[in-house]
Amino acid sequence: MMTAPQATAMTVAPRPHLLVIDDDHEIRDLLAMFLEREGFHVTTASDALDARRRLAAGHFNLVVLDLMLPGESGLDFARWLRSQSDAPVVMLTAMGEDTDRIRGLELGADDYVTKPFNPRELLARIRAVLRRVGEHGGRDQDGGRTIIFSDWTLDPRRRRLLNPDGVEVPLTGGEFELLAALLDRANRVLTRDMLLELLRGRQAGPFDRAIDVAISRLRRKLEDNGRNAQLIKTVRGGGYVLAAEVRRE
Amino acid sequence: MKTLAYWPRSLAARTAVVLLLGLAAVQAAGLTIHAFDRMDLQRLGQEHDLAVRVMTLYRSLALVSPDARSRAVEDLESTEGQFVALSPVPPGEALPPAPIWLQRQLTAEMQFVPVPISARARDIVMLGGPDNELMAVGLRFPDGVWLNLRIDMPAPRPWHSLTFLSAFLMMTAAAGGMTLWAVRRLTRPVATLASAAEALGRDVNAPPLPETGPSEVATAAAAFNTMAERIRRFVQDRTFMLAAIGHDLRTPITRLRLRAEFVEDDHQRARMLADLDDLEAMISATLAFSRDSTATESPARIDLAELVRTILDETADARPELAERLTADVPDHLTIQARPVALKRALVNLINNAAAYGGSARVVVAPPTQTPAGLSATLIIDDDGPGIPEADRERMFQPFQRLEASRNRSTGGVGLGLPIARNIIRAHGGDVTLESRQGGGLRARVILPV
Repeated sequence: MMTAPQATAMTVAPRPHLLVIDDDHEIRDLLAMFLEREGFHVTTASDALDARRRLAAGHFNLVVLDLMLPGESGLDFARWLRSQSDAPVVMLTAMGEDTDRIRGLELGADDYVTKPFNPRELLARIRAVLRRVGEHGGRDQDGGRTIIFSDWTLDPRRRRLLNPDGVEVPLTGGEFELLAALLDRANRVLTRDMLLELLRGRQAGPFDRAIDVAISRLRRKLEDNGRNAQLIKTVRGGGYVLAAEVRRE
Repeated sequence: MKTLAYWPRSLAARTAVVLLLGLAAVQAAGLTIHAFDRMDLQRLGQEHDLAVRVMTLYRSLALVSPDARSRAVEDLESTEGQFVALSPVPPGEALPPAPIWLQRQLTAEMQFVPVPISARARDIVMLGGPDNELMAVGLRFPDGVWLNLRIDMPAPRPWHSLTFLSAFLMMTAAAGGMTLWAVRRLTRPVATLASAAEALGRDVNAPPLPETGPSEVATAAAAFNTMAERIRRFVQDRTFMLAAIGHDLRTPITRLRLRAEFVEDDHQRARMLADLDDLEAMISATLAFSRDSTATESPARIDLAELVRTILDETADARPELAERLTADVPDHLTIQARPVALKRALVNLINNAAAYGGSARVVVAPPTQTPAGLSATLIIDDDGPGIPEADRERMFQPFQRLEASRNRSTGGVGLGLPIARNIIRAHGGDVTLESRQGGGLRARVILPV
């Protein structure tokens, strides 16, 4: 079984080792090729049984898991994996199967993309999860937990932001990622470049072009006055900091 | 045929009118017969009464001595409508002689009062009659003196008592009321059928009609239910088929997306990915329509104003060239109870339609107002496009319907955007309609309960 701390794995292995579990062998192979090209070391498995063998044989930094597996379901496998290993999981879920996705995140999966997915988005998610794991010195235990800051609540599983009155304030995908990135590094200054780096690939062009726009939209939604912002503060010299006490439940 | 001005439009009212007219005719005829009969009876009574009164008086006077007569006449209590006098001449009133039938009748009636032969009237004169409402009768005593009487003969009244009239009116009213009740009851299935047909138009999964009541109604309801079931099956088959294709297409699309990553030519790769995005959007719409997304999501409080702004931001991000023409006039906050994911999809569909076909989207959210359905917010989405002809507007809410009959993807989607939006908004207890905007363009009007 896997016992080695993930943080050392990150520093020791320059090429993170991924396990891709998908029943379609073409997708498996293409995904392996694609991820290898992007600098990962990839092992593939066709079902839960195969995946268990691979997990027993090697050490993996991250598991890409298709929830629609023949035989043992992806959800059952994810539950087993969580009990056995700290390796973060990115799920591939079927479009429209929201309940599966939410259950998967509740079981401890770290992120998801819906099939048919955009390979670049998957890549971005894998990198983001690995980065979080690296920064937190282990698997991100807080991945699916509710984040509370200044009476606001962010539910990462459902990507929902609730205001202090419990009313949902809708966020765009980019705004959610940005807020999550700021909350992950609360009370630390993040330059525009750092934010771009953290969010790259999550959204195409427009987001890169307009991180300031996204910040101002977020401030408006958080009712954080732009001139005298208290929550997301502008740091002289080009950066932002989310200044709040952050709790996770 | 010329339409009658006051001919009512509804079946219930028409049937009621016919039945009430019939009832009125029967009642009128009955009342007439009754009145004539009653008048005849009254006349007979009146005649008998008159004859007996006259003869009784005559008899009492004929049996006393001529001297005592005038005293006896003076002693007579004056009776209303009756004037008695002794005179040497017959009655001189300016009245025509009584009709022969009346004279005969009265003469016959007078025989009922026995008078000794010696005292019998030697002559009888009858003037007037019911037509004059007055009769003058003169009888000559054997000694030549005339007993002249003038007696009122009021015209017989067709309805004598108030009780009869009120009872008759009550009976008529009761019959009329029962007619109306029965007609309403009997025509209610027609209205039920109409509303069921209307409900089916709104929602293919509307509950079936109860197949009860009179046999004709039950048969019609059963036929209607069969038809609804066929339509439902038709729509379901079509949707299931598309959903199945959509599911099956996920794997090849994923493969193609991955393969596209290995295409060297950047331009070709971008175009391949764009095609794949289109394909995915179509499948996504079909899947969204095939499953009732509102059934699985629980309602929560959500800021509608912020939702609108977020959707416009996302649209602007996806289509930067339109960013200037995507505007919102919404309050700072407007909290409503809704299913966030479903409602967002509905509004995205409407706003994307405005952007795609109208080249702009101006969203106005009015503060909630009181409507018959409760407190509701109104959301208006205007565009500057060519609009939709009135005849086609409602059709746009039918699944797989598109303004373009060509089904050319480059000019539109699969025809599920508006049906999905309407399904979701109606599931929230609201509605969405299309109307033309003054100055061109299309206006989508969304009513949402707060």
